[in-house]
Amino acid sequence: MSSRTSLQVSPAPSGSSNALVPPNLALLADPPVRQMDGPAMDYFVIEMVNTLRESAAVATARSKRIEQEMIEAGLIPPPAPAPPALPLKKESARDSVTSLPSRTGSAAGKTVVDEEEEAVRVRLETIGMHVGANFTERLCRDRPLFSETLDAIKFICKDIWAACWDKQVDNLRTNHRGVYVLQDNAFKPIARISSWEGRAEAIKRAKLYAAMPGGIIRGALSRMGFNGTVTPEITSLPQCTFQIKLPKGA
Amino acid sequence: MPPSLRLNAVAFISPQNHPILIRTFSPQDDPIKYHYIAHTSLDVIEERVTSAGKSVECYLGLLYSMEDVAIYGYITPLRVKIVLALALSDAVVKDVEVTMIFKALHMAYYSAICNPFLKLEAANDTSSDISPFLLVGSPKWRKFRQRVDEISRVAGNATATTSAT
Repeated sequence: MSSRTSLQVSPAPSGSSNALVPPNLALLADPPVRQMDGPAMDYFVIEMVNTLRESAAVATARSKRIEQEMIEAGLIPPPAPAPPALPLKKESARDSVTSLPSRTGSAAGKTVVDEEEEAVRVRLETIGMHVGANFTERLCRDRPLFSETLDAIKFICKDIWAACWDKQVDNLRTNHRGVYVLQDNAFKPIARISSWEGRAEAIKRAKLYAAMPGGIIRGALSRMGFNGTVTPEITSLPQCTFQIKLPKGA
Repeated sequence: MPPSLRLNAVAFISPQNHPILIRTFSPQDDPIKYHYIAHTSLDVIEERVTSAGKSVECYLGLLYSMEDVAIYGYITPLRVKIVLALALSDAVVKDVEVTMIFKALHMAYYSAICNPFLKLEAANDTSSDISPFLLVGSPKWRKFRQRVDEISRVAGNATATTSAT
C-alpha cells in the first residue's frame, strides 16, 4: 500500500546546515515527521461513523430513560400525550415543542431516526472541530500571518484539502459578504460510496460522512478566529459543496 | 565557556490577549516583573503587526530592551504570541538561534494544545477559547511546563555542546 505523509512539513534539516545551532535545539524546533499509512485514515473514518452511530443510540436511549424516570417522579410535567390515530405530520409539529426524546408510541419512528442522525452528526462535527483546529496549528507553523479573510479561506482550500484529501478544492465562490462556497468535484471520503438501494439512498447516507470534514473546516476557521458555520451539501455523488457562513465584520 | 544565551522568562499569550503561561528561569528576579514585561510587549507587538500590513513574518525580532533584559517576540499565524526575555550580555545573539528557540516553543505549545482531554467539558462552545487557558496551573499542563523547561535548558547549554556531524 502506498503511504502518504500525514503532515506536509518537510523533515528536520540535517545537522550540517545550521552549524551554529546545537543539534538538540534543532531537533526540538523541527521534530522529525512521523508518517502514517494513508489509507488507514480512510478506513478509520468510515468505521468511525458506524461506531458513533451505535454509541449515539446508546446515549440517547440513556437520556430517554432518565427523562422517563423524571416524568414518573413528577419532576417535569409529562409531555402532551400523542394519540396514535393522529397523522404523522401533526405529531411531529407537537413534538417539536416538547423536550428532546420524550416521545411515545410507534408512529414516531421517522422522527426518532432523524434525531439519532442528528446526534451522530453532532458528535462527528465536534471530533472534526478538534482535529481541524489542531491540524491548522501544525500546518500554520512556517507560513507568515494571514493578511485577510479571503487569505484564510484560500489556506483552507489549498493546504488543508491537500493535507487531508490529496487534492485542492475545485471551485471557490463568494458573495463578498461573508458567505463562501467551496466545491469539490470528487470529494475523497464520499467518492466510493454506493448503496444497493439506489442513488438517492446513497446520497442520503453520504451526508453523514461529510459531517466530519465539515467539522474539520469549522475547527480550522475557529482556530483562525472566525466563528462561522459550515454546511456540507451533496447533490450528486462524488461532488460535494461546503457552504461557509462567517459572521458580519469578518 | 559561559553559555551565550540565558533565558530569563518565556510568556505565551492567547489570541484574545489572555496570558497562557509565564515561566521564569532566573531565581533572583521577581516573577511579577515578567508579567509586566509580557504586558508591555503586547502593545509593541500590536503596533508592529498593524503597521506592517501585508505579509508579516512570524518572527518579530527584538521588540525592546530594558535595564537587564532583551525582549524578543514571535506571533504565530493564529495570533498566539510568544515573548522571550533574554539576559543582556556582551555576546552576539544570533537571529537564527532565537528563531529556533521560538519554533521549539511553538512546537511545545502545539503538543500541549492538541490534547483532546484539555477542553473535555466545553463541547461545542468555540467562541470562548479562554476557559482552558485559565487552568494553566493544573496538572494537565504539566507536560507543557516540562517541555518549556527542557527548551530553556537546551538553549542555555548552547555553546557547551559542539555540533558533531
